[in-house]
Amino acid sequence: MAISSVDKYARQRSLEILRKKFASIAKRILEGKKPVLIMPKRVLSNTIYDMKKKLLLLGPEMKRRSLLDVNEARKFMQTLLMASIIYEALVNDEYPTIRDLYYRGKHTISYRDISGKMHHENTWDEQRESDAVIRDIEVFLGVLREEMLILSKEKGKVVGNLIIKSGDDVIDLSKMGHGAYAIEPTPDLIEFKDIDAEFVLVVEKDAVFQQLHRYGFWKKYKAILITSAGQPDRATRRFVRRLSEELKLPIYILTDADPYGWYIYSVFKIGSITLSYESERLATPDAKFIGVSMTDIFGEEEAAKNINKLTSIFGKEIKDAISKPRKKAYLSEKERRNYIIKAKKKDVERAVELVGYDVADKLISNPEIKKYIRQKKLGVSGYPWFRTPEWIKEISIFFSKLAKLEIEAMASKGLKFLADTYIPTKIETGDWID
Amino acid sequence: MGVMSAVAPAERYRAISPAEFFYKYREIAGFSNPARALYQAVREFVENALDATDSHGILPNIKIIIEKADENREFYRVTVEDNGIGLPPHVVPEAFGRVLFSSKYILRQTRGMFGLGAKVAILYGQMTTGRPVEVITSQPNLRRIYYFKLRIDINKNEPIIIERGSWRKNRDWHGTIVSMTLEGDWSRAKQRIKDYILRTAVVTPYANIVFMTPDGEIYYYERVIDKLPRPPKEVKPHPYGVDLELMKRIRDSGSFSTVKEMLMKSFQGIGSVTALSLLEIAGISPDLSPKSLNDRQLLELVNAMKNYKRFRAPTSEALSPLGEEVIKAGLKRIYEPEFVEAVTRKPSAYQGHPFIVEVGIAFGGKVPLSNDKYPTLLRYANKIPLLYDEGSDVSTAVVKEDISWDQYLVKLPAPIIVLVHICSTKVPFKGVGKESIADVKEIRNEIKLAIQEVARRLRVYLSKKIKEEEKKKRVVSLAKYVPEIVRALTIILGDGQGGKAKLLEEKLVEIVSLRTGLPKDEVYKVVRSVEIGV
Ligand SMILES: Nc1ncnc2c1ncn2[C@@H]1O[C@H](COP(=O)(O)OP(=O)(O)OP(=O)(O)O)[C@@H](O)[C@H]1O
Ligand SMILES: [Mg+2]
Repeated sequence: MAISSVDKYARQRSLEILRKKFASIAKRILEGKKPVLIMPKRVLSNTIYDMKKKLLLLGPEMKRRSLLDVNEARKFMQTLLMASIIYEALVNDEYPTIRDLYYRGKHTISYRDISGKMHHENTWDEQRESDAVIRDIEVFLGVLREEMLILSKEKGKVVGNLIIKSGDDVIDLSKMGHGAYAIEPTPDLIEFKDIDAEFVLVVEKDAVFQQLHRYGFWKKYKAILITSAGQPDRATRRFVRRLSEELKLPIYILTDADPYGWYIYSVFKIGSITLSYESERLATPDAKFIGVSMTDIFGEEEAAKNINKLTSIFGKEIKDAISKPRKKAYLSEKERRNYIIKAKKKDVERAVELVGYDVADKLISNPEIKKYIRQKKLGVSGYPWFRTPEWIKEISIFFSKLAKLEIEAMASKGLKFLADTYIPTKIETGDWID
Repeated sequence: MGVMSAVAPAERYRAISPAEFFYKYREIAGFSNPARALYQAVREFVENALDATDSHGILPNIKIIIEKADENREFYRVTVEDNGIGLPPHVVPEAFGRVLFSSKYILRQTRGMFGLGAKVAILYGQMTTGRPVEVITSQPNLRRIYYFKLRIDINKNEPIIIERGSWRKNRDWHGTIVSMTLEGDWSRAKQRIKDYILRTAVVTPYANIVFMTPDGEIYYYERVIDKLPRPPKEVKPHPYGVDLELMKRIRDSGSFSTVKEMLMKSFQGIGSVTALSLLEIAGISPDLSPKSLNDRQLLELVNAMKNYKRFRAPTSEALSPLGEEVIKAGLKRIYEPEFVEAVTRKPSAYQGHPFIVEVGIAFGGKVPLSNDKYPTLLRYANKIPLLYDEGSDVSTAVVKEDISWDQYLVKLPAPIIVLVHICSTKVPFKGVGKESIADVKEIRNEIKLAIQEVARRLRVYLSKKIKEEEKKKRVVSLAKYVPEIVRALTIILGDGQGGKAKLLEEKLVEIVSLRTGLPKDEVYKVVRSVEIGV
């Protein structure tokens, strides 16, 4: 097997860091000092939204994982076990997936307690556990798992006028037929060779990606078309980031009009809480939310009504978010009746988490939902990056209408409408949220 | 309706002797069947032997022998030997041959109290086997040893001496050997008898007890402590316990010249001031001769005494509690527990009778597992083990209802024994069987307080133990990961440093031991036990 030179370099570097870090642990032990691993805390309370960079970043808090702490001992063992498996994989030129690592490290430890009774314990039980340990090792070493050549299932896909070099092969992403190029788990090892595109369109839904692909959307509009197929994995996010950063392409994100869609957008743009340590490399601060927005469905008139109710929270300036003249809806009353889906309680809860309880309470009129939310979410403050006038305008309609919409609905109105009217108009008129 | 017959059959009247009464109604005294009789006979003689020793300041040496006495029939010869005070020779025939003859009809705590036990056993033996009782005895100050072979004349309630003799003592022996034969059922009585002797041994750690069974087994409970319980003293009755009959008997004894003197000398806790105020309440002049009092005046006096509020509590001098040391030593001798504590409560009284409650708790060691509702109970009254009717005993009610054991960190079933000893000049037994004690409020309360006091100490011990165990658990929860950590580190450190494995392990064990305070070899034991699977 021919190993590409980029791989080799990454391998060498990761090995060195890993060896050095753990040698110092061994040294501590030999000196009779407490065996501890000091690493940044990966929890919500230590996740900081950097207003200036517009990124979710890992805060300064550190945790000390000590073998001598009964609550941490198992994690300590797991961390060392995982480190040794990764080390071996690196040395042996392997490309384990996170699932491989889970299986390689899973075995039983049998021991006798003081009374002589035999016990059996698994090093870890579920992959969730070993995945968390991998994330710990990433922050402990300051090395991402991609750099340690750990793979995961490929989820993201891309097509468009783009030629890349992956490994030692050159691939033309405009010649994928009806298929698409699966974004590899180590997107940093991709080299961009040639490009002829004006923007990137990322769609949340794989099905809509396929429709647009067959329709020839990317050819017609000189676009790079990408799908994350739901929640974006790390590779897709890194790939999008590189397109933005290195090729200076505008990035437009198209999701369902619901709280999950909004959150997917925010993960692309500013990062996620579990992986905040990677935001600096994975987030795309320039990404724009192109739709489907609530005002596209209901028109700005609906938002204007809501905004008046919120001046007590946000002041009069919030009214400036409404443009004049006011934008009309893309859907007729009849279409809305056909396509709109009633929001579930779970959706409403999620939306409250994004924008805050105070906003929801002012806007929800359905007494049952209002009461439910009061019980469940009273005092939830919302994420600062969603408490901007644009997003409040969007989400306010969700609360007042308690309705959501999937992108497929736009395609149902006609693929032509989606591809030739909706998306191009939105881009041309700059009708997005940044 | 018919005409009533004018000639009703004539009733026949006669008196029977106490011997005849107990011969007829022997089951009242516990001799209802051969198994029960064998058990009861052993009890009666063992209790007499203990009364003759520990109540008189003598460290008991007791030997109990049960042997088969006939090849064809279920006859058993029971011999009990003690090193007690013995009996004066002239008393022996009556002590063993006349029902209701006793030295224990006084206010002093002894095991025996009725003047019945030995005699009913002998009667039972006589009627089932026809064989006489043999008694060998000598007192410390006597120079001879006396021997009697007796039988009881049931009609006359009198001893019949079949044989008697004496010989010179050539060593300094005193004590009594009683030997009698009765029909019994060893195989059915065996468990009870062994239980009885074991439970007796629990409260007599100051005694050597040897027990030889018809099966050829020998049980030997060796003395482990030289301290005897304080011997009981004879006391005068407390005024609260008085009644008209007692008063009449005192009056008729004729030994006092004035009523005032009579009161002061016949009762405890009555001095001249109290005597005068009692007589004033009763309207009797203090200088009258007791003989001049009529029954009505006596009754006034009795009432005055019963209603008088300022008597001191009855004296406990007549009582002989075991004492904390003896209880602990006894529980240790039999159960080798990991925890043992005991408490002797201060004297208390009910209805004018003094009583003392003592409680011991043994936990762990060879203590058997209790049931899951309450700890195993060892009940004693005046040092006698109570084996039956546990369900209706006041102590059972207390351990079941008044004490919540989990509050004392006892998770039932547990290896726990609660010993309750009640001593009193009058133990409120529920029935003539002397097997369970009635639920008297004052006694129940004292038992509760005593158990709580000891149980609190048990809780302190158990909570320490739990902490110790948690510490050990903590060590296990760390040490079990050491081999995996060593393995992982040596992989990362690379082949060149593989030799470090031993050193790393040693150091980790040292660190874990140092930080948890558990000895290194304990940590090593866990580390060595670890097997890493694949
Ligand atoms: N082993 C002994 N040593 C000394 N005296 C004894 C011994 N056995 C019996 N006696 C004397 O004989 C008396 C009668 O004994 P017996 O067992 O019949 O009645 P008790 O012990 O007085 O009362 P109880 O009926 O409750 O047992 C005792 O009171 C005691 O004085
Ligand atoms: Mg007796």
